[in-house]
Amino acid sequence: MEQPRRITDSFPRRRRGPGRPPGRLKDRKDKNKDKDKAQLKVRECPRAPSQPPPDPALMEMLRRFDLSWEYGPCSGITRLQRWERAQELGLSPPGPIRDALLEHRDNPDVTYRWDGMGW
Amino acid sequence: MFSEQAAPTAQGLLAPPSGQPPTFPRVPVAGYSDLSQPFRLGERSFCRQYAHVYAVRLAGMRPLLERRARGRWGDDIALRRLSELQEGEKCCVVGTLFKAMQLQPSILQEISEEHNLVPQPPLPKYIQPCDELMLEDELQRIKLDGAIDVQRLVTGTIVAVYGREEEDGRFLVEDHCLADLPPPLPWSGPSSDRFVLLASGLGLGSMSGEALLSTQLLVDVVTGQLGAEGEQSCAAHITRVILAGNLLSQNTQSRDTINKAKYLTKKTQAASVEAVKMLDEILLQLCTSVPVDVMPGEFDPTNYTLPQQPLHRCMLPLASAYATLRLVTNPYQASLDGVRFLGTSGQNISDIFKYSSMDDYLEILEWTLLAGHISPTAPDTLGCYPFYKSDPFILTECPHVYFCGNAPRFQSKLLQGKEGQRVLLVMVPDFSATQTACLVNLRDLSCQPITFSSFGADTED
Repeated sequence: MEQPRRITDSFPRRRRGPGRPPGRLKDRKDKNKDKDKAQLKVRECPRAPSQPPPDPALMEMLRRFDLSWEYGPCSGITRLQRWERAQELGLSPPGPIRDALLEHRDNPDVTYRWDGMGW
Repeated sequence: MFSEQAAPTAQGLLAPPSGQPPTFPRVPVAGYSDLSQPFRLGERSFCRQYAHVYAVRLAGMRPLLERRARGRWGDDIALRRLSELQEGEKCCVVGTLFKAMQLQPSILQEISEEHNLVPQPPLPKYIQPCDELMLEDELQRIKLDGAIDVQRLVTGTIVAVYGREEEDGRFLVEDHCLADLPPPLPWSGPSSDRFVLLASGLGLGSMSGEALLSTQLLVDVVTGQLGAEGEQSCAAHITRVILAGNLLSQNTQSRDTINKAKYLTKKTQAASVEAVKMLDEILLQLCTSVPVDVMPGEFDPTNYTLPQQPLHRCMLPLASAYATLRLVTNPYQASLDGVRFLGTSGQNISDIFKYSSMDDYLEILEWTLLAGHISPTAPDTLGCYPFYKSDPFILTECPHVYFCGNAPRFQSKLLQGKEGQRVLLVMVPDFSATQTACLVNLRDLSCQPITFSSFGADTED
C-alpha cells in the first residue's frame, strides 16, 4: 500500500467554525458522514484514495467564488447551480470554476458552498 | 355588442316546434397554446431562503431599468451602486424598494409572549403616515426621502431613483421611474368576432342557493340552452371559458374540525368535498360544449404559495374525461387565436391593495403592468415559492389581455402604450357576489359585462 491507512480515514475531515454545536443539522454532507460511519465495520472506507483530494488552491478559488457578491446569494444551492444562474443572467462568471466543479462533481466539499457559516 | 349580433330570425319560440330545429355550430378552436410553463413547478424544495428571489429579480430587471433611466434623464447620467455613492453628487440608483410599515403583521410580534398582546386583527389597509421607504441593492440599503410617494409604493418593486445623497445618509429623490410597459407583441388576432368568457369567484359550497341559479344560467347561456335562435347564435361565438379562481367559497375553508377532538369529528366530511362534487357537475355541463380553463384561487384545494399549481384531475372525475377541460396554474398565460392572455386569480392585486394607498383595483392592475412585475409584494407579504434561478413573475412581453379575478366590481380599460402596446385590462368581478361575468371580444379587444341576476323575494322588480 502507498501509505498506512487508519481507521479514522473513513471520517471525512471537516473544517469547524468556532462555537458550532457537535450534534448538527440538516445538511446533506452530514448524511454522507453518517453513512460512512455506519458502513465502517462492513466494508472499506468509501473514500478510497483512488481520487486525489482537491488541492487547497482550488478550494480557495471556490471559496472566493462563493463570497463574491456579484453572483448573488450562495446559500441553499450548489456551486454549479449558482454558476449557471450567473451565466444566464449575463454576469460572466469565470470559466475555470465550472471546469473544476464538473471535474470534481462527486466530491461534496467541492460541489456545495463553503461551510464557514455553519449552515 | 353581444346581443346586437342576434340572428334576425328570433321567432323560433313563437312557432310550433319544427322537425329540424336550427343548429349553430360553435366557432372552432384555432391557435391555442398554453404558455404558463414558467409557473409550473416540478420538484419542489423549500430548503432555500428567499434572498435568491430578490437577487434574481434585481439582476433580471436592472438592465431594463438602466435603459429607462437613461431614456428619461439623459444618456450621460451617472449610474451608481449604493456603495459608490458620494455625498451631494446627482446620480441614479437602481434597486429594490422596501417599505418599513409599523402595522405590517409580523409573526414575531404575534408570538412574543412577554408583551401579552392580542394578535392584531386583519385590517383592510396596513398603511400609516409614518411608513418609510428604503432602497436596497445587492449590498446596502438607504432611506429615501423627497419626491417619492411613500404611501403608494410597495415592497419588492424594482425602481430607479434620481437624486443625491444628503449629509445625514438619506437619499433625496428628485425623480423616480419604474420599468414601464414591457415591449409589445405582434398582433395577429382574428378578423371575425370571437368571444372569451371570463368568470371568477363561483363560490360553490357556500350556504346560499341564490348564486347557484345564476351559475346555472351562465352555463345555460354558454351551452346554448337559453334563449331563442338569436342568443344561441351569439353563444356559438364564445370560443373559450376561463374560470379565474375561487371556484369554492370561503365557507369551505372552516378549520373548526382541526381543533376539535377526533371522536367528535369522525363522521363529518370537509365542506369542500361536497363543493368539489358540485363543481365537477357544473364543469361537466360546460366541457361538453366549450373548452374551459380552470385556474385555482385563494380558497381552492391546491397549494397556498404563488404560483398555485393546477387542481388535480382526480377531484373532477366526470369533467376530466373531456379533453376540453384544462386545469391550469395561477397565474395563467396563454395565446388564444393570436391574442395573448395573462391573468391571476386576484391574490396579487388584493395584497397590493392592503399595503398601498391605491384604492381602485383597476389602478393597481395598471400599476403592476407599469412596474413590470405581476406581484412585487411576493414573497414579503404574499406567499411565494423560493425560486432561485429566475423570477417568473417579471413581465417580459406585454400581453394583449391582462385580467385579474375576484374583484369587487367589473372594470375594464384599454391601455395604449408609447411603443404601440395595446392592453385590455379587465377586472373580473366575483360571481357569487355580483353575478356578473365578462365577455372579451378578441377581434377588437373590447369587453362587456354580462349579469345573470335572479329575482329574489326582496327585490321590487
